[in-house]
Amino acid sequence: MQASEAQLKAWMIAGLEGDSAAHEVLLRALVPLLTSFYRRRMRDADSDVEDLVQETLISVHGKRATYDRDRPFTAWLYAIARYRLIDHVRRRRLSVPIEDVETILMTEGFEEALSARMDVDALLSTLSPKQARAIRETQVEGLSIAEAAEKAGLGESDVKVSVHRGLKALAARLRGERP
Amino acid sequence: MNTDDLIRSLSRDVPRVPRGALGRRIALGMVAGALVTALLVAGVLGIRPDLHAAMHGFSFWMKWIYTASLGVGSVMAVLRLARPNPQSLRGLWWLSVPVLLLAGIGIGELAYTPSRDWLAMWLGASWKVCPWLVLTLAMPIFIGLLWSFRRLAPTRLREAGAVAGLAAGAWAATIYCLHCPEVSAIFVLTWYSLGILLAAGIGALLGPKLMRW
Repeated sequence: MQASEAQLKAWMIAGLEGDSAAHEVLLRALVPLLTSFYRRRMRDADSDVEDLVQETLISVHGKRATYDRDRPFTAWLYAIARYRLIDHVRRRRLSVPIEDVETILMTEGFEEALSARMDVDALLSTLSPKQARAIRETQVEGLSIAEAAEKAGLGESDVKVSVHRGLKALAARLRGERP
Repeated sequence: MNTDDLIRSLSRDVPRVPRGALGRRIALGMVAGALVTALLVAGVLGIRPDLHAAMHGFSFWMKWIYTASLGVGSVMAVLRLARPNPQSLRGLWWLSVPVLLLAGIGIGELAYTPSRDWLAMWLGASWKVCPWLVLTLAMPIFIGLLWSFRRLAPTRLREAGAVAGLAAGAWAATIYCLHCPEVSAIFVLTWYSLGILLAAGIGALLGPKLMRW
């Protein structure tokens, strides 16, 4: 079972206050999250996945001071995870199986990918928080519908409907229609 | 190393991180660099002898407020880009306000000056060295910021390098005001800004190489 944003954030903040036990629990809880994050993006390369998870844990630990206690923990975590992936790809010049637009952007230029993410953030902010969260988790962070539903404490069909309606509203907005 | 051992060894070293640790780190790097810059200005270039009198005049404060407000704005951008998931940079438009204000003052000055004196006013006595001095004086502050960034986590390295250069240039220019006797707004608008932009450009070039982590 994956820990919720609130739980992870609480451990992170306790760690920042100097609670090493909470910090250790946090790092352990991140292992499955990061493993599924990287496995989705790097099929057929399990040893790389383990390397990436370890490198990311080291970054999370070493860059603790850059976490802002007033902002979501998972957004910070996945920003680091993405950076580690980009860095990894660049260093090894691996060919990564292309799965989605985000991966293409990442291999060609991470700055574009990141500014695309800023645009995504701006667009998502025009939706209801529930729809925005459902889309962010399933389409950007790469959780499955089931994982997103469990995290939000909602039914799977509820999440599916939110994603569907949200994407429709976004598409309408991109075509320049008023919702 | 297996992941369990790694987590155990990382968890042995968990110092407390106070709120504002990131800001303090950046401030420390910048202040250390600015001290070096100030020593260079005082020791090599020399403080302008009429500083006391100049501080009662308009043009000294015009220059200082211009460069310092660029400095404040760019440090805010540095603070944002030091995190892996920066907040929106749309606030950066604010940096154009001092530029526009100074341009307004410059137009006013030109209107009150006969046009045969315009060139002399624009070039002053030091246009050839001013941008290069600002750029050179920015280096210690930029190096201080690079030191700060070693503990930080920028993910947009080119932008982070550019705003670090901009901040270094703007604060270097602020310190350089203690030496530079130029008085006209269009001089400052051109040659100071050029030095500051050069520093930002070099930061943008170096950022992706020197700020990786």
